[in-house]
Amino acid sequence: MKNSIKVERAIKGLTQAKLAELIGVSRQTINAMELNKYVPSTVLALKLSEIFEKPVNEIFQLDADD
Amino acid sequence: MKTKYLLNNKYKPLGWFLLTIGLLIGSYILFIGDLNWTMRVFPLLGEEGFISKTPSLEWSDNEIEDELASLLFIAGGLIVAFSKTADEDEFISKIRLESLMWATWVNYIILFFAVLFVFDMPFFNVMIYNMFTVLLLFILKFHYEVAKSKRTLVYEE
Repeated sequence: MKNSIKVERAIKGLTQAKLAELIGVSRQTINAMELNKYVPSTVLALKLSEIFEKPVNEIFQLDADD
Repeated sequence: MKTKYLLNNKYKPLGWFLLTIGLLIGSYILFIGDLNWTMRVFPLLGEEGFISKTPSLEWSDNEIEDELASLLFIAGGLIVAFSKTADEDEFISKIRLESLMWATWVNYIILFFAVLFVFDMPFFNVMIYNMFTVLLLFILKFHYEVAKSKRTLVYEE
């Protein structure tokens, strides 16, 4: 799965640490998601969608191997 | 985050303390010798024979340093292994479960080969170590992986 968290984060002017704090996770989690090393739960995806004010499927896209 | 079977983070230092004492006493017994800490015990299951003098359901004297080391290691190890990290979240829980799986695999692969190639008293020693290795492997792997995920942060942002 691909995601545009890094881009959306830049648009909102948030650091990894600040975004982590806003959705209540560790900074490693944001980092791992941005590096496509971790696929978040639906709960976390919805929280990100709230922060970025965009639907979930504009932030996350299926990959060819999904 | 809601988590099953995990203790509060505040117990972790207590776990490290018990684990360390257990390791110290255990290593002393294994590599140096007996401590002769004798105490009255009441075995539910015991044995009276050539080298054993702890009959079932009777009070008898027993050197308890090995029991003490085991109990401290198990209690401390469980607390360290299964108390939350300060920032436990779903990603760290994933690292936790994967580390536990890794530790179980490695532990039983080692045991598998020990069964094949180690016999008699050396195998008895393998069984002694094997009582503790799942916990130990998990603790080492989990903390290593969490530290590794933090280390990559420096290069990001």
